Amino acid sequence: MDILEAAFSKIWPKKGGFWGPYLMLSPAILLVGLLVLGLAYIGDTSLRTLDTSTFLFSEEWSLANYERALTEPFIRSVIWRSILGATIVTMTTLLLAFPYTYIMVRTRSAFLRKFLLIALFLPFFIGQVVRAYGWLIILGKQGIVNDILGLIGIEPLRMLFNYPSVLFGLVQYMFPFAVLMLAPALTAIPEEIEAAAESLGASWQETMLYVILPMAKSGLIGAGLVVLTLSLTDFAMPAILGGGTQDFVANAIYDQFFRTSDQGFGSSLAVLLIAIGSLLVWIIFMLVGAGTLALGAKDK
Amino acid sequence: MNKVSAVSASNVCLQFGDVHAVKNVCFELEEGRFLTVLGPSGSGKTTLLRLIAGFQQPDQGEIFIKGQTVRELAPNKRSIGMVFQRLALFPHMTAAENVAFPLKMRRFNARTISDRVKEYLHLVRLEGLGSRKINELSGGQQQRVAIARALVFEPDLLLLDEPLAALDRKLREEMQLEFRRIQKELGVTTINVTHDQREALVVSDQIIVMNYGEIQQNATPLEVYRSPSNPFVANFVGVTNLFHGMLESLKGQQVAIRISQQTLLGTSKSENSALTQGVSVQAAIRAEQIRLFRGKSENRECEAYFEGRVTDVIFEGERILYELSVAALSDAPIRIIHHDQQDFSTFEVGEMVFVGWQSRDMHVFVVD
Ligand SMILES: Nc1ncnc2c1ncn2[C@@H]1O[C@H](COP(=O)(O)OP(=O)(O)OP(=O)(O)O)[C@@H](O)[C@H]1O
Ligand SMILES: [Mg+2]
Repeated sequence: MDILEAAFSKIWPKKGGFWGPYLMLSPAILLVGLLVLGLAYIGDTSLRTLDTSTFLFSEEWSLANYERALTEPFIRSVIWRSILGATIVTMTTLLLAFPYTYIMVRTRSAFLRKFLLIALFLPFFIGQVVRAYGWLIILGKQGIVNDILGLIGIEPLRMLFNYPSVLFGLVQYMFPFAVLMLAPALTAIPEEIEAAAESLGASWQETMLYVILPMAKSGLIGAGLVVLTLSLTDFAMPAILGGGTQDFVANAIYDQFFRTSDQGFGSSLAVLLIAIGSLLVWIIFMLVGAGTLALGAKDK
Repeated sequence: MNKVSAVSASNVCLQFGDVHAVKNVCFELEEGRFLTVLGPSGSGKTTLLRLIAGFQQPDQGEIFIKGQTVRELAPNKRSIGMVFQRLALFPHMTAAENVAFPLKMRRFNARTISDRVKEYLHLVRLEGLGSRKINELSGGQQQRVAIARALVFEPDLLLLDEPLAALDRKLREEMQLEFRRIQKELGVTTINVTHDQREALVVSDQIIVMNYGEIQQNATPLEVYRSPSNPFVANFVGVTNLFHGMLESLKGQQVAIRISQQTLLGTSKSENSALTQGVSVQAAIRAEQIRLFRGKSENRECEAYFEGRVTDVIFEGERILYELSVAALSDAPIRIIHHDQQDFSTFEVGEMVFVGWQSRDMHVFVVD
């Protein structure tokens, strides 16, 4: 025993001291490490151009792929579509999720609360792809909605394979994430606070605006960041509901890797996507702080 | 000259499921007075305040503020300042912003707001701390912010829902006097809720004792203390000894009751119709109204007089609480509070002593 302990204290001088908790981080560090490795590989590939005659990658590095990505009109429109889409989706989702969460947290009716919770979790069990196909069935040319419209003599509408349908699908997909991130923030606001605001003369709109929203700020930012990054990088919704006409960056990357086999160009798009995502997150951090994602660091 | 009460309630009832949170509550409170609602946990104190503030509607009955019914008035339209059980300060605002909030909601101009905020922070002795965030203030300072915020718009009525319960005893007693000072200074009609009987006696003009949603007694502190209206009040306010017995005879307010072979004299305020011979009664006497003697000869003006054995001695600083067992009263435990400034002699566990009291201090209630 003593020998063991002595050996142990050699490797780990201060018993139970400084390094203990950090050791427990090692699996996570391993995971992140692998990711960094992959990223390094992608970074390397993104600097090599494909020779279309020989299908070989260049030996030396160049920024040609990035130049192409930033100048080619198709790619530029894909990037803008992703950024704009993610922004619209984030705004809309937060706008819809806030009242939903508020009612779910505040309602006195246990039945309503359970109903809202189940309605929230059900889509999780269905998964993104199946859900997107569900929308095809509902909104398609021969879909349920058009069938019903047909009954009252309205010509079939084209509701799919356009930008709004992709955004719609994304909002529907992101909604539960936003609600789940908002719920703790709203639960943490005591009802007494609302009663206080009211007795001090605030109407319910004023209570919302001056008390509830500011107190839920960190939750809103946290939810916003999650929704923004998830929808910016989404693949399935643009692919299925956009039908190839409404590609986001992830779809363009997929095409480069698996259709055109230009891994260099695909990698440069991947790096660009990471850069754009980081930039957006950074802008939000600068503007409003990190919210619940700041992990207890002092809000300003 | 019929003065309109600042607040009154007539027959107010509110039920949650089959719990009567507030039942048949009637009271009147004059302008500028300090009323304390006293009662054990769950007796409906908070519910009563919430009804007055308008967060809850009564099932029955009516609440009036300055003679006007408030049934149709939303909480933000009633002129009521409330300090909540957990304060409910806005954590994202500074102390001064908290105090300014009701003024902003009432659309005062910026000039008035800053003057008023300054004035009320001064009133609660927080000048200079206005720019602190709420979590940068001590418990007592937060109480003061809550008070200032509830008073700054000069409401008709101030409601205090046990805001002191969380404080340590010293700070609590300090804040009780502070409430009293501010209330006197502004003359604002106040309803304070507490389950601390000491606080109720110290700060109030009027006390309502509640139990199970019903008013047990509505009187001045002195009256509640000196002549409780029923055994519950007698027991809840102060340290009281209760005996069960049977009515033997009565003459005016003087009653004779039989408790385990002994006949004791007491006074009763019950209606005479209820006082018939043989009815079972409870007799209450306060722990500090019982005297303790070492020898039989010391008996002075006591009308009841028994020998007992000391079973416990609890030293409480300025007073000593004795527990005795009296053989003549079938070993009923009797608690006695002894204040003796001159003579620091104490009795010891196991010692035989004599106890005595005056019959006017023994309150007799009919048990129904
Ligand atoms: N929203 C509610 N739903 C159901 N029952 C309630 C509700 N609010 C209060 N009650 C019940 O009504 C009764 C009175 O509660 P109330 O909060 O008024 O008591 P209290 O005198 O303020 O007690 P405490 O001293 O513990 O604060 C209790 O039995 C309580 O359980
Ligand atoms: Mg309460």
